[in-house]
Amino acid sequence: MITAQAIFIGFFGVAAVWFGIVVFRTFSMVRSAIALLFSQTALGAMFLTMQAEFLGVLQIMMMATEMSIMAFFMVMFMMDPGGMGKMEMTHQKRLSWIVGLVSFTGAVAIAVFIDWGPVATTVAETAQQTEALGLELLGRSMLVFEMAGVTILTAMIAATSVAIPPIPSPEKIHKDKV
Amino acid sequence: MTTLLVLLLLAMGVYCVAVLEAWITSGRFRLMAPACSAIALLGRESVVPRKPDLLFFEMAPIVLLVAALLAAAVIPLSPDLIITDLATGALFLNAALAYVLVALIMAGWGPNGAYAMIGGWRFLGQLVAYAMLIVMPITAVAMRAESLATTDIVISQSGLWNVFYQPLGFVLFFLAAMGLAFLPPFDLPIAKGELASGVEAEYSGVRLAVFRLGRMVLIVTLAAATVTFYLGGWQGPSLPPWLWSAIKILLVTAAMLLVGRYVPRIREAHLLAWCWKFGIPLALLNIFIVGILLVVIP
Repeated sequence: MITAQAIFIGFFGVAAVWFGIVVFRTFSMVRSAIALLFSQTALGAMFLTMQAEFLGVLQIMMMATEMSIMAFFMVMFMMDPGGMGKMEMTHQKRLSWIVGLVSFTGAVAIAVFIDWGPVATTVAETAQQTEALGLELLGRSMLVFEMAGVTILTAMIAATSVAIPPIPSPEKIHKDKV
Repeated sequence: MTTLLVLLLLAMGVYCVAVLEAWITSGRFRLMAPACSAIALLGRESVVPRKPDLLFFEMAPIVLLVAALLAAAVIPLSPDLIITDLATGALFLNAALAYVLVALIMAGWGPNGAYAMIGGWRFLGQLVAYAMLIVMPITAVAMRAESLATTDIVISQSGLWNVFYQPLGFVLFFLAAMGLAFLPPFDLPIAKGELASGVEAEYSGVRLAVFRLGRMVLIVTLAAATVTFYLGGWQGPSLPPWLWSAIKILLVTAAMLLVGRYVPRIREAHLLAWCWKFGIPLALLNIFIVGILLVVIP
């Protein structure tokens, strides 16, 4: 039976995919970043529809900040820093098509063939969900999350240091003057 | 009914703040000034700049207003006077306020103008400075309340307000809230005098009116959040709870505006440096101290 909940999940799912497509259909870096933000926000809305309040709100909050920071990095590496010019958002098209199709097929295969267990009939209280999530993050998933966090931090530091033009050493400046 | 009542109180609060702001900046107390300004703005032509990103340009003021209103939805003005008492209220407030940044980036990018664009990107830099100082003090507040629900947070302060229990967190949150509402001395995205109003520069007429309304709602919401998290919310003797909330919110707003009146505008690089070198370690220290206090004084 199709319930209102299912309709909303479907709606937000389609919205997430649509904004995901817009990311590559636009010629503006900023529009691309904002489209990705709204795609992730739609995912957060899906969580909310599924009564995972904490995860939903967290997703909506984190993505607004993260995507804006991402826009910052995008601008850092752009040829025109203000981002006023038009840019092609796709590259390595053939490889991208192959990777995209393989990933999509894999995701669909997992969704269809995996044994998801019995459908949950009741949802735990929000406070219990938050507690369970906290225990999970500080338990068996801790290593995975810490690894991901450190990797992202390393990438950000590396990206920032690449974006900064090298400052010539005082000796070199002195030599050049001489 | 509750929603309408809260919105009505919010509208009254916004008007009072507009009067206060005009009084503090111009030195003249004029009760009708905001109404006259609003009528003037609504009567003026709303100019669209050349070659704008029209979607962003049109949406930015609305996104700002909606974000501020959504954040206000989880603020309790009295035990019953709250639009929605979410179990994750404090987090939801953050989530809604995160879209202020999105609105300002859109407002900076949309009009295709240099001043606006610099203002928008400046605010993104400002976020890097203030964001942690909003989240970390709220973490300490939630630790004491053992809940993210805003009503629980107010109730947890019935013995002692958080402003006394965790004064360090209060100072950090107060300053960060001013940064989020881009009030002076953190008005870098607007920066009249150096950026010619920055993100507001290309807006006029009704669009500017909506943008300014959004900002006013944002200021009131952040003052209300400060009251909820640190000043005992609706709690107080004799007077009805909603009146206590209203008085405290107005006092916090006045304090925010007064600070801006007497402190010169801060430089972006200095703001970032101070927030990261001093603000974040202090916020972590605050969490640590509150953690110890909770163990020692349950």
